[in-house]
Amino acid sequence: MKIEDQKIRNIGISAHIDSGKTTLTERILYYTKRIHAIHDVKGKDGVGATMDSMELEKERGITIASAATYCEWKGHEVNIIDTPGHVDFTIEVERSLRVLDGAILVLCAVGGVQSQSITVDRQMKRYKVPCIAFINKCDRSGANPFRVISQLRAKLGHNAVAMQIPIGLENDVQGVVDLVGMKALYFEGGNGEIVREVEIPSHLLEEAKAKREELIDAASLFSDELTDAILNENEISTEMIYEALRKGTLKREITPVYMGSAYKNKGVQPMLDGVTYLLPCPSEIENEAIDMDKNEEKVVLSNDLEKPIVALVFKLEDGQYGQLTYIRVYQGTLEKGSTIVNVRTGKKVKVGRLVRMHADQMEDVEYLRAGYIGALFGIECSSGDTFTSPEVNLTMISMYVPKPVISLAIVPKDNKSQIAMAKALNRFAKEDPTFKTYVDNETGDTIIEGMGELHLDIYVERMRREYGAEVTTGNPRVAYRETITQRADFNYTHKKQTGGAGQFGRVAGYLEPISDAEFVFENKIFGGAIPTQYIAACEKGFKQSMTKGPKLEFPVTGVKVVINDGSSHSVDSSDMAFQAAARGAFKEAYLRAKPVIHEPIMKVVVETPTEFQGSVMGLLNQRRGMIIGSQDEDVMCVIEAQVPLAEMFGFSTILRSATQGKAQFTMEFALYRQVPQSIAEKIALEVAQNKKSAA
Amino acid sequence: MFTFNVALKREDNIIHLTYKDIVMIKKEIIYRNPLVNLGYDNEDILPAGGFGAVLAHAGVGKTALLVQLALNMMLRGNSILHVSLNDAVGKVDLWYQEIFHDIAEKFGIVEVTEYWDRIQPYRFIMTFKVEGFSAPKLEERLNDLMEQNIFKPHTIIIDGFRFDDAERGQLMRLKELVNKYSMRMWFTVHTHRHEPPQENGLPLSFLHIADLFDAIVQLAAKGDEVYIKSLKGISIESKQNDLILDPATMLIKDSE
Repeated sequence: MKIEDQKIRNIGISAHIDSGKTTLTERILYYTKRIHAIHDVKGKDGVGATMDSMELEKERGITIASAATYCEWKGHEVNIIDTPGHVDFTIEVERSLRVLDGAILVLCAVGGVQSQSITVDRQMKRYKVPCIAFINKCDRSGANPFRVISQLRAKLGHNAVAMQIPIGLENDVQGVVDLVGMKALYFEGGNGEIVREVEIPSHLLEEAKAKREELIDAASLFSDELTDAILNENEISTEMIYEALRKGTLKREITPVYMGSAYKNKGVQPMLDGVTYLLPCPSEIENEAIDMDKNEEKVVLSNDLEKPIVALVFKLEDGQYGQLTYIRVYQGTLEKGSTIVNVRTGKKVKVGRLVRMHADQMEDVEYLRAGYIGALFGIECSSGDTFTSPEVNLTMISMYVPKPVISLAIVPKDNKSQIAMAKALNRFAKEDPTFKTYVDNETGDTIIEGMGELHLDIYVERMRREYGAEVTTGNPRVAYRETITQRADFNYTHKKQTGGAGQFGRVAGYLEPISDAEFVFENKIFGGAIPTQYIAACEKGFKQSMTKGPKLEFPVTGVKVVINDGSSHSVDSSDMAFQAAARGAFKEAYLRAKPVIHEPIMKVVVETPTEFQGSVMGLLNQRRGMIIGSQDEDVMCVIEAQVPLAEMFGFSTILRSATQGKAQFTMEFALYRQVPQSIAEKIALEVAQNKKSAA
Repeated sequence: MFTFNVALKREDNIIHLTYKDIVMIKKEIIYRNPLVNLGYDNEDILPAGGFGAVLAHAGVGKTALLVQLALNMMLRGNSILHVSLNDAVGKVDLWYQEIFHDIAEKFGIVEVTEYWDRIQPYRFIMTFKVEGFSAPKLEERLNDLMEQNIFKPHTIIIDGFRFDDAERGQLMRLKELVNKYSMRMWFTVHTHRHEPPQENGLPLSFLHIADLFDAIVQLAAKGDEVYIKSLKGISIESKQNDLILDPATMLIKDSE
């Protein structure tokens, strides 16, 4: 714990599913002596890679939770966040990226840059995460690291430059040539733990020289010293090259590329060297928080250990010993026994046990300083919360959380399952902000909402496995919305005088569409036509109406309500009366404001061999998809389209059968768009039927 | 129905529509083909089966010009197939969105997104690697689209075609293709600074194929401005106005 800031690296390993990042993480932990044996991802030996701590992940060979772990490499302390690879879990990826200072982009030497890599890369861009690349699986047949480098350039726009060239590929993979040190590196010992450094084999020398020149050329853009050395033909030191590359990498203007095969234990250690040489330490990254006391002004946090604490909760996990809260400290020092405040709730908590994690195992520590990642025990909070010292009121900039686009009704099989389900849902909703749950008042069903079919499937599975909750699921439902398309006036009087205290309230004004907000209420009443004390009740009434549209009972968005007249009664008017009047007015004007239904449109990217291009386009077209374009790349072709979510159910099965399983696709929410008339009619019919069956 | 008074205001070469006293009417973009002002007879410029070319040095604005041409077609309800041999789909899409936003801004259109949603289906982007592009391949892809009724282009734009090593035969095959389907095809032609233009303004390396083209437009940077000039395809009697490409927005405007 005495390591200085320059020697800390907080990195993530981001990649396409199946590019072998879990295996790579496993090897890193092995070479940094955090673990003492190596297991395969899919667990032939029943143990599984250490980072995949959830049973389900082990079975599917994918990583869902981003477990944080740390290790040491050559005097540097490396915190690793294992990020999930599937697009449905992007909130996890994004949350992880928020706490990282740098990343390793893992690519498959055969598959290269796939559609998923593009999504992950875009997220890295959004959070400005500097990265190095590792081209894995060089032992597979068809491996070609240089093709992947050119794809990195062409498809992702990275200024990718090779740091190494391979010694042997496919079955013959032996090692790599380090182009900076100009040495051949071989990996020996039972698990490749001994790195043998020797002269470059003569047959590779020419190629190595040429590639080194390219590397130095690219690096020289970031260092005058290096440029001078080249021009004056002076000797170029390795430090000079690394320094230049580091500058470029931190600016995201160059991507150094390492290569190897984690599975065959080749090339992992030099990449770790790359992490320490080229990726930033915490103080080199500027982090911002919002000052809640100063009108949400942005504040740049400093890595100062003496300043008030600012720390972000980025992950919750249910461990054997209760809730584990993963946290990154951005400023100050979080000490055992200190008092911190949850900025969202305002609750003060005392820091009990502090630990640093290594997947499922943990180590107790006394403090976590700025730049560190660790975990707290027994603290009640949600993912994304900020903790600070009591004297400040800062919050880390709220992370972009997309709204759920799909929902599913779930019914527990028995009473025991019901209890377990409630527990599980409570946990999931806390862990994952894109996962929501509520009880439908009309049907009494428990509804879960999320970002895609697979997203919800995984949670249903987790409920069963981790919590023993057996549930049956209904058909997935799309989160439609309603909105209005034109202005409509209202002038509505709510009047009740049937014995007892009467009710009276009149509101007049108009509704109109707005595109950049969900709901805006404007009071344009002058002269007290409606007394000020009832205005809030009017707003409340209108707002209530927005939750269920009068057309098809979907939530309403994009409405501006303006009230400009009304009247009241000195005795009969009340909050209740004006709320009712507002609801009536909304109903009255809404249908005249030409309401329409909007549906979530997904951006779908399909990667397919070219021979299936036509049929894939046909499939997308049949699903009301609008194809944006197609990109031909040798034998593969990438088709990008916007398709309504409602049409995407079961698409993976259909795509697989249409392309002999050779195509794959990713999907993410893009925008809401108006539903065509014919489909709107169908939806109306369905809603009516559902209502009937519910009744 | 709504009643509305339309006042036409002419500024640059764009007609602005301003609506008075109307309630909730969607504004329209009447975006005329900016090249017509060069003296071309109609907005399509090319006849069915025709070829057009935009000549310029690297980085002068060939793509920007063709995207404006394409947007004019899309706004008129004509489908555009944009084939790019340099850029990724995302980048081409960005060209369209940026330029469309700039145009829409000139018209004061508030619902840019809705408007864009309406015209976007009239565009399809295809990208190929330069070396992987050929007439038969394009035809194969086109057939995929047309047979399934997914998309039938009115005009095809080919951005990044290598004329330096293009044989006449290759262009002839493309010509047959557009003739067969009654389409129009525009190309960007990258000219080289070291190559002085011939008397008719065309570079030497383009002369042997110039007869295949019905319209040729050249972009030339002079000082800070980019001038647009027609080298072929306007009727003799029509007066040629000079147009310039605004270097800030890459939009076309009259030089006067």
